[in-house]
Amino acid sequence: MSPRPGFVMEVDRSTPPTLFMHGEGFRLQSLPVGSRIVYPPEALPTVADIDGAIRSALVDPVDSEPLSALLFPGMRLTIAFDDVSLPLPPMRRPDVRQRVIEAVLDLAAAAGVDDVHLIAALALHRRMTEAELRHAVGDRVYDAFAPRGQLYNFDAEDPDALTFVGETDQGEEVEISKRAAESDLLVYVNINLVAMDGGHKSTATGLASYRSLRHHHNVRTLQRSRSFMDQHRSELHSSNWRMGKVLRDAGVKIFQIETTLNNDTFPPPFDFLQKREWEWSARDRATFVASSKALDRAPNRVRRSVFHAVRAPHDLTGVAAGDVEAVHRLTTARVYDQQLVAVEGQTDVLTLGLPYICPYNVNSVMNPILVMSTALGYFFNLYRGRPLVREGGVLIVSHPTPWEFHPVHHPSYIDFFEQVLSETTDPLEVEKTYEQAYAEDEWYRHLYRTSYAYHGVHPFYMWYWGAHALQHLGAVIVVGGDTRAVRRLGFKPASTLRDALEMASDTVGRDPSITHFHAPPLMMADVT
Amino acid sequence: MRFPLLKFPLSAPTRPAGVELLPGARRSGADYDTEWARRPLSRYARLLMVEGPIRLGVHALAAPERAGLDRLEGLQGPAIFAANHHSHLDAPLLLTSVPNRWRHRLVVAAAADYFFANRLTSAASALAIGAIPIERNRIERRSADRAAALIVRGWSLLIFPEGGRSTDGWGQGHRGGAAYLSLRCSVPVVPIHIEGTGRIFGKGDKRPRPGSSRVTFGAPLHPVAGEHATRFAGRIEAAVATLADEAATDWWSARRRAAKGESPSLTGPELASWRRSWALGDRRRRAPGRRTAWPRF
Amino acid sequence: MKALRVDRSLPRFAAARVAGALAPGSGARVGPLRLVDVDPPAPPGPEWRRLRPRLAGICGSDLATVDGKASPWFEPIVSFPFVPGHEVVGDLDDGTRAVVEPVLGCAARDIDPPCPGCAADDLGRCRNIAFGHLEPGLQTGYCADTGGGWSIALMAHPSQLHRVPDGMSDEAAVMVEPTACAVRGALKCTSGAGGVVAVVGAGTLGLCTLAALRRWVGPDQLLVGAKHPEQRRLATELGATTVVEPAGLTRAVRRATGSMALPGRGPGPRDRSQGEPEQLLGGADVVVDCVGSEASLAQALAIVRPGGRIVMVGMPGSVTVDLTPLWQREVELVGAYAYGREPQLDRRTFDLAFELVAEARLERLVSATYPLHRYRDALSHAAESGRRGAVKVAFDLRDEKDRERL
Repeated sequence: MSPRPGFVMEVDRSTPPTLFMHGEGFRLQSLPVGSRIVYPPEALPTVADIDGAIRSALVDPVDSEPLSALLFPGMRLTIAFDDVSLPLPPMRRPDVRQRVIEAVLDLAAAAGVDDVHLIAALALHRRMTEAELRHAVGDRVYDAFAPRGQLYNFDAEDPDALTFVGETDQGEEVEISKRAAESDLLVYVNINLVAMDGGHKSTATGLASYRSLRHHHNVRTLQRSRSFMDQHRSELHSSNWRMGKVLRDAGVKIFQIETTLNNDTFPPPFDFLQKREWEWSARDRATFVASSKALDRAPNRVRRSVFHAVRAPHDLTGVAAGDVEAVHRLTTARVYDQQLVAVEGQTDVLTLGLPYICPYNVNSVMNPILVMSTALGYFFNLYRGRPLVREGGVLIVSHPTPWEFHPVHHPSYIDFFEQVLSETTDPLEVEKTYEQAYAEDEWYRHLYRTSYAYHGVHPFYMWYWGAHALQHLGAVIVVGGDTRAVRRLGFKPASTLRDALEMASDTVGRDPSITHFHAPPLMMADVT
Repeated sequence: MRFPLLKFPLSAPTRPAGVELLPGARRSGADYDTEWARRPLSRYARLLMVEGPIRLGVHALAAPERAGLDRLEGLQGPAIFAANHHSHLDAPLLLTSVPNRWRHRLVVAAAADYFFANRLTSAASALAIGAIPIERNRIERRSADRAAALIVRGWSLLIFPEGGRSTDGWGQGHRGGAAYLSLRCSVPVVPIHIEGTGRIFGKGDKRPRPGSSRVTFGAPLHPVAGEHATRFAGRIEAAVATLADEAATDWWSARRRAAKGESPSLTGPELASWRRSWALGDRRRRAPGRRTAWPRF
Repeated sequence: MKALRVDRSLPRFAAARVAGALAPGSGARVGPLRLVDVDPPAPPGPEWRRLRPRLAGICGSDLATVDGKASPWFEPIVSFPFVPGHEVVGDLDDGTRAVVEPVLGCAARDIDPPCPGCAADDLGRCRNIAFGHLEPGLQTGYCADTGGGWSIALMAHPSQLHRVPDGMSDEAAVMVEPTACAVRGALKCTSGAGGVVAVVGAGTLGLCTLAALRRWVGPDQLLVGAKHPEQRRLATELGATTVVEPAGLTRAVRRATGSMALPGRGPGPRDRSQGEPEQLLGGADVVVDCVGSEASLAQALAIVRPGGRIVMVGMPGSVTVDLTPLWQREVELVGAYAYGREPQLDRRTFDLAFELVAEARLERLVSATYPLHRYRDALSHAAESGRRGAVKVAFDLRDEKDRERL
């Protein structure tokens, strides 16, 4: 049976309760009759011979010479790859990055290339640990390159490792990894989990410094990105594309490799989380009951380790290599194939069940700021055309939103939450008053460079990520969250979905239209 | 600890080649019928042995580190596992290292003249490690036919193409059996390199000295259309040599040398024996930091 | 006349210590403090005047006495039996209201010529507090001869008395004495002007110090670690720039100063660049410790900058603290006990305190008053004031029956 496309279902009396992800747990909720539920498409079929597909993409790239023709003895080759924020959840071994990098290195070995560096393109994200690097690139590559210092995390605060490439016609500075800029060839290995990833954003963001990033990671740009998932209507992408042009004009030669994964997110026995409720088997129901009971009783730490041990059975749906823009066009089409669901008309109230993970808390804690960014930044922006929820509408989010932070990964988040959010939640005010102090704080800089901490400015980006949604929405209600934390975010707490819907009526009136976005697995609403 | 404890006439006679046995005669050697060892009860008994005492014993003696299993991801159906051979430990080590998908439907090609010398050792080998007798001293179609028939029935085969354990730490040239069976049954060959077991319990050692070992699985090799068995055997040997290089240095160095055709040979230099031993010195890698001097709690 | 009196009884001190350790303030039930009927104190000298208390505050040092936790240091500088209470506003016999400046210096002790401290009007530094014609006693409320505020009447030397302005309420007046201590502490923080000052603790002293720092020192950033929500609300009202829970103070000071930080010496692997910061390499210019516990002093040492200053406003008692940071970071640790004359402003501390109480409306810190006979409730309320949303608890003696009979 070929995979079924996503669809919109109207809730009637016979509809079973709907699954809401709820952080490190899940809940069944009954939506009012007449609500709509948007279900994601099923996982697309995958490439049968993955290594073969990768090899042929390298041999026969798009708008480029074959990779082997670009390799020559004595050259400087740099391979950059996406960091631990992709894919979500982390995929089962072998990771697709490992397969691609090994294929690239095989060709490089055959061409007699000696000088190879591998860089985790993490921009201002936290450094990857050894275990995470091993997971991404595989033990063989790690053991071969890391001990010689040829496999490392990008450091956006190392003045000696950065180079200023130029400015765009709009005065945006482009400063990226020196090694990448000065290599004879930069091969960028992407995992394009959502339509936002890849293209010129890979290098112009992944290997860039704060000096460069601030030109597109700011409130003005992000409020004009409608949405980040639609490259043609995203100011974020326009800026990155301008920077990409600067890189190309400066002679930085990039061989882009983009891979797309299907949305097979949860391994058995948790695969019921991606099934439609009326298709749950007896076994699925038993697993649901048993696991939700067990999770309710388990301490936080146990729950977290259970969920963060999940390795997704994602598989490759396609791989394209060659010229950045041409490759990205193919990739975006593939992502849309997997993720787009046609939805007619906007809704007054949008409900979301937030999962336990977002790009910035892999093996970590989903703190309140990340809850905001996941709901208002990521899920809100999973649309093409118009936002799923109308202007002035209400977003209802289900997540426990604990007042909890990972002290190693998110040190500046703690201060942001304590200091900045207790003063203001207005993104423009936040940006104007506090960003610079956090971005230039020596301690955050030190932790970013030597420990495993996100850069000091990163929580600001998380907040800006939701800036458009904050502007667009009439209210945000969090169901089942820590009341104090939710209030600090500037949202309204509610204990049940019913209460939340009741509270929403203050903003959108009695009898609003309600839509539930049944993700994960990830999808994108194509709203007409 | 030599297997054939007794020799003829104290043990049963071996059968000269080309001689037909009387019907119903009790057989050993290459004719030993191991079918009973693949019946459900025997398989279950073997599973218990492999997962129990054998795994524990291998762990205690050889503390194996297993690399490259991810290369077998996506490989379906029966396969031929071809490894270099240093020690009697190799078969148990690989039995516990081969992924589950193949482990319990796996036969081991064992020397007919050695493991199947008499009925007792035959039965023990067949039951414990799922050995099937392979004639290594002469060309013999029957053992090959038997192995091929098993592969066709969905069994995987573990074979040591060097034809015997290394005598001096260097490998021996590959024989064509693995390549031949692969071509004949159209199944892939998984090259495997074993390092360390020779130090633990090499040929001629009286007792094992516990140490560490490393098993490296290579990417499955498929015969190319029209490829001759000898040529394919050469590819398998080269693949194992590359794995050996990978285990001794690292993957990237090994790939680069392989690309230039400079992988160190498995069989060692053609020199006098002491110089061969001498040359072996720098290939005896002790993995740094893989085993801690002090127990960790 | 009714009075709450502390007797020298070893078993009772021991019992108070045990009870106080179990529940703060409960030393009042078994300890050396008892409600007794005593003769009104006789005037120690001709010029001494009788004061009938209207309100008498309960101070942290009083609670330490009640719970048997007072430092042995005090033993020779108090005289038993004494009636506690040194935060007093009362009526003189001529009907004027007055606040007592309780230190019993050379003037009160009739010592002439006065010691250098008293000669400089710096009463808190009097060198004769155990001598002269009075029994030993550093302050009214610790001296057997003078009586104390927790009773119907006490004796005060004219030099101790400050007339309360007519517009000032009793609640405001009773805050003058603790405010004077706070002003004293705050004026030792002048090196924090334009810099970063952190206040540890937001009880009465903490909040008053905060107000004084705002009024006279003017730090750029004034951070307060306050345990309880009501304290945090008041701290914000009184002008703190950042108010956090005590555990968050280290982080807040780090943020405000942009210092580098190190994690503490907790259990687990000590990766020196990871974890919650507990030890700053830079830090606040001045830290005011308004708690005086081991934890507060240790935190103060961890968050003050090298060469900075720690001002101890809270009474510490005997604490065990690692002083290595004091040595290694060349930190000044200074005490701020009582009052006298403030050289920077060349004014008497008490006058400044009157001014500050009025300006900052510190009467709002008086949260509850009790009659004398409910002293057990009063003391346990005072001991748990923060948790119970209170700041200053005082005895209200205005309605005591035998007050008018005297």
